[in-house]
Amino acid sequence: MKNTLRQVFHSPKFVLGFIIFAGLLLTTIFYPLIVTADPLEMVGNGNFFKPGTYVSVKDAVEGTRYTLNIDAKASSIGSKISAEDKEAMKEWLTKFGGVAEADINLEDVEGLIGLWEANYSADAEQKGLTASKKKYYVRLNNNIDGILSDNDVIIARENPETGELEQSASIGSKEYVNTKDVANRRTFILGTDNFGRDVLTELVDATKTSLRVGLIAGMIATLIGLFLGLISGYVGGVVDDLIMFITNMFTVIPSFVLLILISYSVGQNARGVNLVGIIIGITSWTWTTRSVRSQVISLRNRDHVNLSKLSGHSMMRIVLTDILPYLASYVVMAFILQISSGILAEAQLSMLGLGPSSSTTATLGLMMNWATLYAAPLNGSWWAYFPVVVTIALIAFSLNLMNTGLDQVFNPQLRD
Amino acid sequence: MKSRTKRLVALFATLAMTASLLAGCGGGSEPTTSDTPATTDDVAADDAATDDAATTDDAATDDAAGDTASAGDTTSTPRNETLYFAGQQWGTINDWNPFSTNSNNPMCIQQKDSSRTLIYETLFMFNMLDGELYPLLGTEWSWDDEAMTSMTVKMNPDAHWSDGSALTANDVAYTWEANVKYESSLGMDFPNYVESITAVDDATVAIKCKLDDAGNPTNPLKVQQLLQQMYVMQKAYLETVEGRNNSDKEAMKLDKMEDLVASGPYMPFFDDDQKIVFIRDENYWGQAASMWGKLPAPKYIAHVIYADNNAGQVALEAGDVDVCQQFTTDVQKLWEEKNLPITTYIDEPPYGQCATMPSCWMNVEKPGLDQVAVRKAIAMATDYDQIIASAMSNQSPTFTDVPRSTMNPTDGEQAMYDHDAVKDLQFAGNDIEGAKALLDEAGIVDSDGDGIREYNGTPLSFKAECPKGWTDWMASLEIVAASAKEIGIDIQTYFPDQNTFYDDITTGNFEICMNSPSGSSITNPWGRCMQFLSSQYADLEVNWSGNWSQYRNDEADEILAKIPLETDEATLKEYYTRLNEIYLTDVPNFALMYRPELFYIVNESVWTGYPMKDDGSNIPPTDCTDGYGIAALYNLTLVE
Repeated sequence: MKNTLRQVFHSPKFVLGFIIFAGLLLTTIFYPLIVTADPLEMVGNGNFFKPGTYVSVKDAVEGTRYTLNIDAKASSIGSKISAEDKEAMKEWLTKFGGVAEADINLEDVEGLIGLWEANYSADAEQKGLTASKKKYYVRLNNNIDGILSDNDVIIARENPETGELEQSASIGSKEYVNTKDVANRRTFILGTDNFGRDVLTELVDATKTSLRVGLIAGMIATLIGLFLGLISGYVGGVVDDLIMFITNMFTVIPSFVLLILISYSVGQNARGVNLVGIIIGITSWTWTTRSVRSQVISLRNRDHVNLSKLSGHSMMRIVLTDILPYLASYVVMAFILQISSGILAEAQLSMLGLGPSSSTTATLGLMMNWATLYAAPLNGSWWAYFPVVVTIALIAFSLNLMNTGLDQVFNPQLRD
Repeated sequence: MKSRTKRLVALFATLAMTASLLAGCGGGSEPTTSDTPATTDDVAADDAATDDAATTDDAATDDAAGDTASAGDTTSTPRNETLYFAGQQWGTINDWNPFSTNSNNPMCIQQKDSSRTLIYETLFMFNMLDGELYPLLGTEWSWDDEAMTSMTVKMNPDAHWSDGSALTANDVAYTWEANVKYESSLGMDFPNYVESITAVDDATVAIKCKLDDAGNPTNPLKVQQLLQQMYVMQKAYLETVEGRNNSDKEAMKLDKMEDLVASGPYMPFFDDDQKIVFIRDENYWGQAASMWGKLPAPKYIAHVIYADNNAGQVALEAGDVDVCQQFTTDVQKLWEEKNLPITTYIDEPPYGQCATMPSCWMNVEKPGLDQVAVRKAIAMATDYDQIIASAMSNQSPTFTDVPRSTMNPTDGEQAMYDHDAVKDLQFAGNDIEGAKALLDEAGIVDSDGDGIREYNGTPLSFKAECPKGWTDWMASLEIVAASAKEIGIDIQTYFPDQNTFYDDITTGNFEICMNSPSGSSITNPWGRCMQFLSSQYADLEVNWSGNWSQYRNDEADEILAKIPLETDEATLKEYYTRLNEIYLTDVPNFALMYRPELFYIVNESVWTGYPMKDDGSNIPPTDCTDGYGIAALYNLTLVE
């Protein structure tokens, strides 16, 4: 046993797969200890907030301020007006503002803004301009309104008695806050999803759920497959025919169709995480049965088995001590693959809306489903679906890597 | 050797996977146009293409549509003569028959408050912006007496059919008779309010209202509604159809009417499972000075049938769609971040003209939901701000801006009830403690400690449904469920296909569902109050009309019966205020958001001149097709 383990951990493939898998598993265990927020809490009031740290504006305004000798004006002009904006401003000014083209110098941003502020009017007759373009100019105008002036921004409070605004602070262009001073802040490493949930927290929770579904499904599928395979292979005869008849029947029906039908008929109310795992398990045992059976058939006529038979050992004992150990490595590998396919099956089911309900659980498939429904790939909101894809790929990849690693250790034909 | 091959294969597979992943991501940021129909600018000047297309028309009418579809280029129309739509038509057209209940032809047949008059036309057009009726086939209408027992409609003498024959009052009268005789859905509903429609002379229609025992009209509002809702059909053509179907009721509803005669500016041109095209009728009567004075700008109206919303959005961004009736997440990103020439009716949230309020209907016949406390608690706990910001992507005013009532968020309707009188009955939402206290007070508590409250020993567990694929509704119900969980009520979401959903709600076989009451209409807000509160609908065996909660309240019924006959505004306001008190006290249903009747996103890469808020045109943003919104088609111009 010790020797086998040592051998297994000498396989680089297995070790890599194991490290990835263990990493995922440990994350799902330790992350919730650090971040205790409810993974399903809808924090963001809107769709797909981009990744980053969000600090409370009120805290920032009221907190300690530092004066830095960095001119914020120049860079904020740069960030508010792009090269296209400048071209568009020039176009408007020459077409509708009555400014000669020679008077406009695109290099001189401040001059351009000056010309703009002097000549632009949203109410001017803009013949031939589309509504979207008109609205663009209005937005551009609002954006650069007052950008040149060095006036402070005034913070005012409403006096509860008189209802008048009273100045409480003014903010100059050189004042900064240290984000560490802002008490109320929240970092969304992977942004938020369409419901405003923290994607990273949800992802960790979903991975946990998916692993659970995968383990349950894998365990059930492997147990059923092993049990039927052993009996069918060892006993043979009518029992074998009967079991193989059933197995073949299940093999012919595509298991995913079966999965959809069963999930649908169970109904949403009953479809918890465990039940989904069980349903996946009982629809995916067939190929384990078939391969276990064929291996048992080749084993049952070996000398040591015949010896046990002659010694009068019970069938149970022969199967458990003389046959099962020879299958063990294969069964472990089959189990790993079953976990992997169970996780994928759950993701597919949830994508179809036949998985667990999204108000009670997060699963990888549900996250993908909602990201697609809210057109995240079209919005450029990559954080809502790409990490999920990567996680699914990593789980399947690590499990398959472990499987190949084991295969190389146990299968003499593959040994280098 | 073997293992080397394996490694090579593995390497190749990894490369292929990475490449496909990258390709997938690329598609996200910059939409490809490969899966959308090729733009046809090249053939724009090519007259031959148009000629080819014209022959398709003839062929398409004699059941050979399938063959011509594969002929390829004949289906394409010049891009700068075609107005492309998305989000209206899903799947293949069944028929062109306004009597049919299963046309699946919304681009042609939509008899509703703002009817779609591209092919068939109504007597008048409704303008949701000012609530007025605008002349179309009819020029003016008036009540004959104070009591509103009969009405006279004058017809436009210029109107004629697509076959050139004159459109007269006889056609109107015959259409009505046929609707009643063959029991179209319109012909089932309106005889309760309209006694008869007859032609006085060629240009005058007389409408007699149905009278009750006291000699009052049963509902003058519904009679007005008929003017904007009923498509006028040609008498001669109807007789032909009757002839080939032996006037059989069922056969009449199943007739395809592919050889239709209509009066509208467009006629069917081509349709298959990929695309639908209408062509302008160059002989359209509306170019007379008494109507529009010209023809609509686009020669073709086309609707590509997209697989889903995402496909439609990709096409919109690529400029292959001009008018898009689809819910689009973060619609402002299209112009703010992607700098596309796309815009909506309003440049800021809520981006459109909201006219209805999708509501959460609770079946009061189900144990648990028959308790006002349970219904109100669910309504109080629901996080409306979250629904509006995330499920609706900010495309709705909040309930702080427009407090919840039976009125839609247009100024006209908002002025029709007393806001202050019902102020104390309003619930702000996300009030978990308040909702818990309400349930505790009513004695509905969790006695077995499983986190779910019980009523009469049964746990409060309900199924909330809406059709699959209606994303904003699905997300809304998820948020309702999440809030309810916090107050100890278990709500499971259920998203069946559309047909199952409608079967469920029309037969009362549901616990909680989401559905919209009617939007803007000449009959509203009365019609919507009926939908919220009237027991008349609750008694229906199969209920498509409203009050899916099956709520009954005698006082509400009494007021609802009085409103259509009342013309005094102060009294009306009193009635509506009382109805709102009942609505907010008993909470048979509650609005989850406001929503436009039609989403209206336009891409100005080919056409411009679409109606925009405050442009002074008074044309409603009904996608250039519905009610008075069709006037927009006459203002469109090509982008220079």
